[in-house]
Amino acid sequence: MTSTRAGANVRPPFWRDVRVLRVVGQILAIVAVFLLLRWLYGNLVTNSGRVGFDLDFGFLTQPTQFQIPNHDEFNPRSPVWQMVLVGVKNTLLASFFGVIVAAIVGVIVGIARLSQNWLAAKLATAYVEFFRNIPPLVIIVFFAFAVFLYGPLPNLRESIEIRAPGTDHNLLTLSLEQWGIPSIADNGALVWYALFVALGLVVSALVWRWRTRVNDETGAPHHRLLWSLGILLAILAVGFLVLGEPFRITWPTLSENRRRLVDGFAISAAFISVAGALGLYTASHVAEIVRGSILAVSRGQTEASNALALSNFQRYRFVVLPQALRIALPPLINQCLNLVKNTSLAAAVGYSEITVLTQASIGNGRPAVPSIVILMLVYLTLSLVISALLNVVNRRMTLVSR
Amino acid sequence: MTSRPSAPAFADATKAKGEAFIEVTDVDKFFGDFQALKDININVGKQEVVVVIGPSGSGKSTLIRCINRLEKHDRGSIVVDGIELSDDIRNIQEVRKETGMVFQQFNLFPHLTVLDNIALAPRQVRRQPKREAEEDAMKLLERVGIPEQARKYPGQLSGGQQQRVAIARSLAMRPKVMLFDEPTSALDPEMIKEVLDVMVELAEGGMTMIVVTHEMGFARAVANRVVFMADGQIVEVGTPEHFFTDPQEDRTKLFLSQIL
Amino acid sequence: MTAVETAPVPIRPGFVTWVRQRLFPNVASGVVTVILTPILVYLGYRAVMFVAVNGRWEVVSRNLTLFMQGTFPRDEQWRIVVQILLLALALGVGASTAGAAAVDRAREAGLPVVKQPLSQVVRRFWPIGLFVLVLLYFASTLTPWLVVAGALAAFGLGNTARFLPSRLRNLGWLLMTLLIVAGFQVVSGTTGRSWVMSAMLVAVGVLVAFPLDGLAPRARLAARAGMALLAAAVVFGIYTLIPLEGIGWDQWSGLFLTLWVSALAIILSFPLGLLLALARRSSLPAIRVLATGYIELIRGVPLITLLFMGQYILPFTLPPGSNLSSISRAIAAMTLFTAAYVAEIVRGGLQSLPTGQNEAAQALGLSASKAMRLIILPQALRAVIPAMVGQFISIFKDSSLLYILAINEFLGVRSLVHAQADFRSIAHAETLVFVAFGYWAFSYSMSKESQRLERRLRVGL
Repeated sequence: MTSTRAGANVRPPFWRDVRVLRVVGQILAIVAVFLLLRWLYGNLVTNSGRVGFDLDFGFLTQPTQFQIPNHDEFNPRSPVWQMVLVGVKNTLLASFFGVIVAAIVGVIVGIARLSQNWLAAKLATAYVEFFRNIPPLVIIVFFAFAVFLYGPLPNLRESIEIRAPGTDHNLLTLSLEQWGIPSIADNGALVWYALFVALGLVVSALVWRWRTRVNDETGAPHHRLLWSLGILLAILAVGFLVLGEPFRITWPTLSENRRRLVDGFAISAAFISVAGALGLYTASHVAEIVRGSILAVSRGQTEASNALALSNFQRYRFVVLPQALRIALPPLINQCLNLVKNTSLAAAVGYSEITVLTQASIGNGRPAVPSIVILMLVYLTLSLVISALLNVVNRRMTLVSR
Repeated sequence: MTSRPSAPAFADATKAKGEAFIEVTDVDKFFGDFQALKDININVGKQEVVVVIGPSGSGKSTLIRCINRLEKHDRGSIVVDGIELSDDIRNIQEVRKETGMVFQQFNLFPHLTVLDNIALAPRQVRRQPKREAEEDAMKLLERVGIPEQARKYPGQLSGGQQQRVAIARSLAMRPKVMLFDEPTSALDPEMIKEVLDVMVELAEGGMTMIVVTHEMGFARAVANRVVFMADGQIVEVGTPEHFFTDPQEDRTKLFLSQIL
Repeated sequence: MTAVETAPVPIRPGFVTWVRQRLFPNVASGVVTVILTPILVYLGYRAVMFVAVNGRWEVVSRNLTLFMQGTFPRDEQWRIVVQILLLALALGVGASTAGAAAVDRAREAGLPVVKQPLSQVVRRFWPIGLFVLVLLYFASTLTPWLVVAGALAAFGLGNTARFLPSRLRNLGWLLMTLLIVAGFQVVSGTTGRSWVMSAMLVAVGVLVAFPLDGLAPRARLAARAGMALLAAAVVFGIYTLIPLEGIGWDQWSGLFLTLWVSALAIILSFPLGLLLALARRSSLPAIRVLATGYIELIRGVPLITLLFMGQYILPFTLPPGSNLSSISRAIAAMTLFTAAYVAEIVRGGLQSLPTGQNEAAQALGLSASKAMRLIILPQALRAVIPAMVGQFISIFKDSSLLYILAINEFLGVRSLVHAQADFRSIAHAETLVFVAFGYWAFSYSMSKESQRLERRLRVGL
């Protein structure tokens, strides 16, 4: 037995000392990773030098040299960094609407799965099992090719025009390339109206708090939703009258030669493909999360609520849903993140979000390495922001529950 | 009940019977700001059975976990059979080969059969060939009374049987001292006796043991010394008779009145 | 009032009762039923018309080979057929060996042995069966029928491995490894560097098959090292003596490519993911930070960005002269991507183990690496099998992204199909439905299997 003998704090030889080994182990790991990265980077520089690529970010101020479809304010002479901004904006746009579709459809399907109605439950199950098991890219391509490009919809010139009943303007126009929806046009005072809207929101929030306090103190039903909404609508109406029609609604109309859409807002087929398809796909995951979270609220809660004589509605509103929401929130925010990442699949259908634009830019001769680095940074930032949001929400939820 | 071969009584904490086998000197242990062990001094002699009692949070588990380096003591020294526990990994390995530990939660390996659980360490650490290790394992299973369970999985055994397998598993490494961390606290009452019987038999066979437990009957039966710990310190030490009939410290009296 | 004897009420509700309970239990539900039924009927009618009557399915039947194997050279098709047979045989051997080993263990432990009738097994995989039937329906020659029949026969033949005596059970694993290696080489050929990977796999198979428990430890180590080297040498010898020109990865496409890319990505990512998971739980801060940084970085970006990195950046980071095919780069990117997710899955498994297991192992004197290898990892990995299957399904679906890189896997082959003059602007829906069906059949079966496994694991261990 050659171990160190007993004595006052004899230092073991360093090759057996646990603390030394830990430090040495870490140093070795760092050195190994560093050497690997340095070798890779060295090769990168050599090869780039030979082929003539840049590795810096100077290309950002150079002109883009291609046009982004559907963006009239952008031209091939705009600098690349503007292209990046356009790409990020489009990514966020598609993500935003995708999330809305996913949330609405997902919650409906999730609740339907729990319904007692056999038809609704089976349909919802079929929806979930179908959409969950096919790649989102296939859905996007299906929308882009089978619904739009080669699909049953007519050309722009022969758009299907859905008239608002009783009037002579369109509510909706449908065609292969674009759909037209109503929009809001500035009549001169839109900015002021926006202030009115902000004022309305603040006041209605205060009203909400006031009614809650009344309910706490006197026990009278607060009807706070009715009060807040009522006051909000009242303020909006007043603002509308006071400013004298600050905006008007424009309906989608085709131009004289029926080649363009004037008025209204045109959403491109690619956008609908990406946002709609991803919304439907993510909805299947959302439905599962919703269902799982409601089931996860234990039986005992139902029994306790019934013992307290709460009605079904009250049980859902005060006991089941708050707890289910707490359980569901982290995976839901995770799905949100997934949807944002999946918008990169637009590369298959040409919707001009950041991945597509980066690919086009590289195709136009811009240096690949810095472009991809920027691309990854964009997504990392979005991920970090959404994860940070998740952490904040999580912490608030646990605080509130304590 | 039965008396152990040549076991004179001791009242002094630091004196041990015969040669001191485990020497714990001036040991402190901190968890962050919380001090779990304060100035612990105790020696355990060869073939001695020491029972450690005390309220929860008193540091009893921490103490024995420091002896086989599952926890690291911050100050002082712990010497087991002449080997000092330090940052030397070879020392730590040697000490662990000489100490066996039985846990409150048994901690059997659920993916191995009972026989494999017992034979694993001798094969891997002492490099025993498979057949020999399995024969020794069967003998140990007979010794703890459940040879027929050899090929079963731990999940199929009752709690008492699992703990007996755990004892056999520790014994397979032929340790010089056995450490028990509340071995019967997780068992249903009807199974406590079968485990205690095994432990009594071990003690009578001359094994050095340190047992953290609440089972006073066991302490009275086989302990050479009883140590009472509270708030991280050793409050009182004595023979079982002295301890239960004439405790000195107030804290001891309070504790005994709560559990007896 | 005297008691009246009534006839016993039947327990099974009749159809009318069922309709009333499940479709119209209350007003709201009734409204829902009334709204949904005509919609469903209409959609069902349109679907049936599309599938059976209106659909221009000749786009699939005329291009079936393209879908299945893409632009693989036609006169080398025999390689794929042989590979399918070898892999079916390997699957039979593997499945029966695993089943028989489980039966052995249960029998020794005195647990009841539950046999699963073959019909139940078949029923579990009905979507895949349906897909194969659809393929056969579209087949225009006799070959696919023969291939399917041959594969079933090979699987049945492989099942006879069940009858090996229990002491020789591990030979079954060795046989499976050899068959899989042979299946891979039959297509990719024996020239080139692939012999290294084959040699390693065969060596591992040999080591698993012959544990040599009876020997003393030092002799055992020497014997195993010798056996592994011998196996590697034999493989090398075979490859040099029987040179078989192979078909490079560049020419693999269609469903064939999708399956291989997914399989390779998950297999290669496993060791890396395991290392990352261990590193992330390490007590050494530097290692933990490095691993966490990598994992969070990869999980924060979409797969497509990594594929771009593989396409555009990877070739430049390697020494000049090394020429990686497009598919190799894609597989490398997918491996790096999957490894981060596998790392999180394994980390979850490691965290779910009670700390007492590690403490017991340490208290017995097992070194950290031995404790990890013998105690922690077997339990943790067994616990995460369902999640790993889920990750495999994920990778299988994500392989469709190769389409964006102009690699023609199952989804991408469509561009070849629709490049033909006959199908330029028609039948897009049909091809997409076919592709979607293929993905769905596989994903759905695998996810149901994973759910089954999860239920069984929770009950068992």
